[in-house]
Amino acid sequence: MAVEPFVGSAVVVVSVGLFAIGAYGVAGSNNLVRQLLSIEVMFNSIILLVILLLSYDSILATLYSVVLTSVVAGEIIVVIAVVVSLYRASRSLTSEPLEEPGV
Amino acid sequence: MVDGLLDPDTLGTVAVVGLSISLLLSGYLVIRVKDLVYASLALALLGSLNAMLIALLGFAIVAAFLVIVYVGAAVMFIIVSVSMLGGGGHEEWKPFRGLVSAVVAAAGLGAAVALTGIYQAYSTPIPASLREISEIILSKYVPVMGLIFVALAATLIEAVAVAKARR
Repeated sequence: MAVEPFVGSAVVVVSVGLFAIGAYGVAGSNNLVRQLLSIEVMFNSIILLVILLLSYDSILATLYSVVLTSVVAGEIIVVIAVVVSLYRASRSLTSEPLEEPGV
Repeated sequence: MVDGLLDPDTLGTVAVVGLSISLLLSGYLVIRVKDLVYASLALALLGSLNAMLIALLGFAIVAAFLVIVYVGAAVMFIIVSVSMLGGGGHEEWKPFRGLVSAVVAAAGLGAAVALTGIYQAYSTPIPASLREISEIILSKYVPVMGLIFVALAATLIEAVAVAKARR
C-alpha cells in the first residue's frame, strides 16, 4: 500500500509529540492529579508505538496492547490509592513534599 | 479530481493527518486546561482519538478496549478531582523544568525510533477476528492470562489496602 511509509512516519511524529507533552506536564506541574493525567498522555504515545512495531502480526499486536493497557490501568489504580492516602495525610495534592530539596 | 479525492488511500491519509493534529491538540489541552475536570475530559477525548487512529491502522479490537479503559479512567480522574480539589486546587508550573524534560524526552524517544527504524515497520495488518484471538488466548496464552489475572487482583487488593491505611 502506497500510504504505509507516510502512516508510519505520521504515527511516530504524533507519538514523539505526545511523549514530549506528557513529559512537560509531569516535570512542569506540581499537582499530582495533573502529573497522573500527563503520565496517561505518555502511555498513549507508547501504545501507538507498540501497535506500529507489531503491526506485522495483528494477533500479537492485539494481545500485547490489551495486556499493556490492563497492566497500566492497574498501576494507575495503585497510584490513585497512594494519592488518596497522601491527601489524607497532608490535605494537599502537591508533589513538593515528595521531591528532593534543591531539585 | 473527484475520483482522486474519493480514493481510499487519499481519504486514509487525510484521516491520519486530521487525527494526528487532533491528538496533539488534545494532549496540549490535558496539560494546559486549568480545571482538572476539563483536563480529565480532554484525556477522554485523547483516548478516543487515539482509539480512532488505532482502528484506522487496522486494530479495531484494541481500539474498542482503549475506549472502554479511557472512559473509566476519565470518570475516575473527574471523581478524584472533584472530591479532593473541587476541580481546581493549588498548582504551580515550572515551565523551564518542563521544557527541558520535554526536549530530553522527545530527543530520547526520537533517537530510539530513528535508530531502530520503527517508522518503517508499519505494514497494513491482516485483520484478525475476535474468534481467532480468543482461541489463541484460551490455548497458547492461558498461563500468561492467568498470571495477569493474579497480578491485577493483587493490584486491586494493594490499592484498597493503601487507600484505607490510617497513615
